[in-house]
Parts: sequence; C-alpha cells; structure tokens
Amino acid sequence: MTRILRAELLKLRTTRTFVALVGAAAAISLLAVVLATTLGGDYDEDDVRGILTSDFSSLFIVLLAVSGMAGEWRHRTITSTVLAAPDRIRLLAAKMLAYAVAGAVLSLLVSVTMVLVGSIILSASGEPTLGVADLADLLWRNLVVAAFLGAFGVCVGGLVRNQVAAVIGLLVVMFAVEPTLLAFAPEVGRFAPFNGAPSGVLDIPGFGDDDLLSPGVSLLVMAGWIAGLFAATAAVLRGRDLT
Amino acid sequence: MAPVEIRGLSKRFGDVEAVRDLSFEVAPGRVTGFLGPNGAGKSTTLRALLGLIRPTSGTATFAGRTYGELEHPASHVGAVLEETSFHPGRTARNHLRVLATAAGHPLERCETVLETVGLTEFADRRVKGYSLGMRQRLAIAAALLGDPEVLILDEPANGLDPPGINAMRTMLRLQAEAGRAVLISSHLLAEVAQSVDDVVVIARGELRAAGTLADVLGGPGSAAPTAEVRTLDPRGLSAALTRHGHGVRHEGDVLVVTATTEQVGVVAAEERIVLTGLAARGRSLETAFLALTGDAR
Repeated sequence: MTRILRAELLKLRTTRTFVALVGAAAAISLLAVVLATTLGGDYDEDDVRGILTSDFSSLFIVLLAVSGMAGEWRHRTITSTVLAAPDRIRLLAAKMLAYAVAGAVLSLLVSVTMVLVGSIILSASGEPTLGVADLADLLWRNLVVAAFLGAFGVCVGGLVRNQVAAVIGLLVVMFAVEPTLLAFAPEVGRFAPFNGAPSGVLDIPGFGDDDLLSPGVSLLVMAGWIAGLFAATAAVLRGRDLT
Repeated sequence: MAPVEIRGLSKRFGDVEAVRDLSFEVAPGRVTGFLGPNGAGKSTTLRALLGLIRPTSGTATFAGRTYGELEHPASHVGAVLEETSFHPGRTARNHLRVLATAAGHPLERCETVLETVGLTEFADRRVKGYSLGMRQRLAIAAALLGDPEVLILDEPANGLDPPGINAMRTMLRLQAEAGRAVLISSHLLAEVAQSVDDVVVIARGELRAAGTLADVLGGPGSAAPTAEVRTLDPRGLSAALTRHGHGVRHEGDVLVVTATTEQVGVVAAEERIVLTGLAARGRSLETAFLALTGDAR
C-alpha cells in the first residue's frame, strides 16, 4: 500500500496538469482575496471569515483527481498501473489517499498564502482580522474539505472513465445542480457532496442557520459519501475486464 | 510445473467466444511464439494470464499460481502488451520510476533497463515526442524492470525498425539463455521464425498446433525432416547416406535427403566428403501457418 501510494504521489506531481492546476488554484484564490480586501470595506468578523474561506483549491483538486483517475483509461496507462499493483482495491485506496493528501497540501499552501496576504491588506486598511485560533480553525476545515474532494474525485473518475464527460458532469453538478438544490430544496441540498456537506464543515457565513448541517454531521455525511463511492468504484473496478 | 500454464481457458465477451478451451505450456529457457491471425484470441489469452481479464472458465497460471496470487508479480513476470501506452506528459525515466516505485524495484534498475533498450540518451524527453519504435522499446524496458523469470510480449516488433527488431531478437535469445521463459505473440510470421524455439498456433480462439518450431514447420503429419545438400562428390555422398538409411533423391546438382542437417553433416564427416552447401528444407512457416489457420480468414 505504501509503495503504491508513493508511486501515485510521484505520478501526480510529475505532470504538467498538476503544476498548471496548482498554479491556477493559487492565482484565482489570491486574486479573489486581494479584490475582496481592497475593493470593499467596513467588514465585520463574519465578512473576514467569508473572504478568507474563499479557497478555490478544492475545486481544482477535485478536477485534478477526476482527470487523474479517468486519465488512466484515456491514456491507456491503467494496464501498466494494474500490472504493477494487481490488487485493484488497494490501488483504488492508494489513489484516493494520494489525492486526499495532495488536496490537503494544496489547500494548506493556498490557505496560508491567502490568510497572509488577506491579513496584511486588511490590517493596512484598518479592518479587523482573524485571531490565531480562528485561523487554525479555518485551516483545518479547508484541509478536510480538500482531502474529501480529492478522494471523491478519484471515485468519480473511476466510475465514469471518460475524462471529458467526467469533468463536464462534475462541473454541471457543482455549479448548476447543487446550487439549485440548495436554493429550492435545502433540506436535500445540504447533503450534497460539493456545496452541501462541505459548506457545513466550512461553516460558511451567508447560509441560513437551518440550511446547513452542523460541522460534525457534515463530516459524517462526507464520510458516508466516501464509503459509498469507494464501495461502488471498487465493485466496478474489480469486475471490469481491462481489454 | 511449467512457468506458464494455460489449462482449458475460455473467455466469452457477450456472444463472442474469444478463446475456447485453450491449453498449452511455456517451457523455461525457451522462446515460445504465440501465433495467430488478427482476432484469433492471442491478446485475450495473454490478458487473462496477466489477470487483466477474468476467464469464463479454465486457468492461466505461472507455476500454478495466478498473476494476482504471486507474491511479487512484477518481479516474477514482465509484460509488453499490444497498444501499451504512456502518459504523454511524463518522461521515460519518470514513467519507469513510477512503475519501479509501485512494484518495489530499486530505482537503479530504471537506468539499467534504459541502457538495455538504448533509451538512456532520450530518458528525459517527454514520451509524446517518442516514435512508435521508441515507445515499444520503453515498454520492453518496463517489462525488464523487475528482472523477471517470465517475459510476455504481445506483438513486440510493432513499430520497430530493422535494427530494433534485430536488437529485440538478441534480447529475447539472451533472456531465454538465462533460463527465462519467453512467450511472444505475433502475426508477423517471418519475425517469429527467426526468434523462437517453440510455437503455439491458434485461430478462432482454438489451439491449432503446438510444438517445436521444426515440428510445426513440417506441418501436421509431415514431421520427417528434409535437408538440401550440395557436395563435390554427389555419388559418394548419395551412396553413403543411403547406407545410413536415409532417403536420397537428386534435384539437379542438389541432393534432397530425408534427414536432419546434423545427420547429413555427421555422415559427410565420417566419409570425409566435402560439402559445399547444407540447409534444412521444410514447409515455410507462412505455408504451415496458412494451412493451420486457413479457415479463420
């Protein structure tokens, strides 16, 4: 398992897609925080927390994970991957763990940079900033969500296999289906995997108190998503002939 | 127990029976050619052997164990599969390092196999810039990473230029001489004839012939070896060969003898007769192959 995990991490960090997506995540997140802190004013603590939570790394890590897993079929590398690691369940687990780790690391880097830049700009403008305890609280929440979405994306890629269809489908669910659900049926939407349960963990200001699940329940819902998707992907992967 | 054993293997994809009750073995220290026309079931058989597809029935094992049951499968078996692909954005060295890390091989092996296949100079170039032949050599390098006891190659000559094919033949011979079992599938019969000791011929998923190259070259029911001989003393050699019980007939200045080239050579040496030419005559592999698989086309 350790060997496969190391191989997956090596595979992950030695492609241009990874570098490009990490760069894009950092750039967009930083741009968002710079614009929000320089163009607005009269922030209270909730506003500041909202600004510093706008970490886009989760979006990119889920795209990276979907592309990474579905790309095994697109580039037909799944054969050599399975020959090197024939236990497909262990392989899936290692891939999920690798992208969870990558998501957490990426989120940590982006979040820390955003907090530093945002805090400097806010302080210079005389606006309130977050204390160390609040920042630490914000960091772990971002990390957990990024790790969850990394593992989630691997399963989506393993189930759909077609890289383009997987990415487009994911974006449609993320930006159209789930927001619609949250708007019109929040009692269902709050269990959703991208904007629902993760928002509960992030405790994003702006949602009504009744709309989001509590962080603890959100974590359980996310764990349920991972367990269910792992079981489904493992069953498909195990039974599939690699012709 | 043979290094590779296929026993009653069948594989059905929906209505199509790709392989039907196939059985054969691959011996250690020999190169075995796995022949058949396109769609004969060669790749399906090899993929079943490597645990990539599930047989409908029968077994495909390495010394009695399936690929998945081997303790360190990538150290026991190296494989080059048809349409082997690589992530275009990664370099050859990186590709090998990923595989070596996953399979637990020392990273130094990457440099060794790159040198073996002559890719050291291009190891840091992205694979998308590789020619088909270079990709094929990289696939062979990946198969050799674990210094395996069994090598399985599916159409390995595809895309190779003549020097590449020659280098591959040499590599296969060296692997067999080192005691490894080599199974090589191909529809390029001329290529196989020069590389293999044994052949297994299949068509429409069924076994058509298996044995030494000489046996199958002779074709079913015609295993008697035949040699063509040229000599400075045709009468003397003809009489000597006849005395040793070999059939002889004259075709111009060539003697056609029902014997192996070795047997003819021994007789000529004993009788101190100078030979100016000696070659085995048989049905060409192409002819034998078409005879065995003719109804499959």
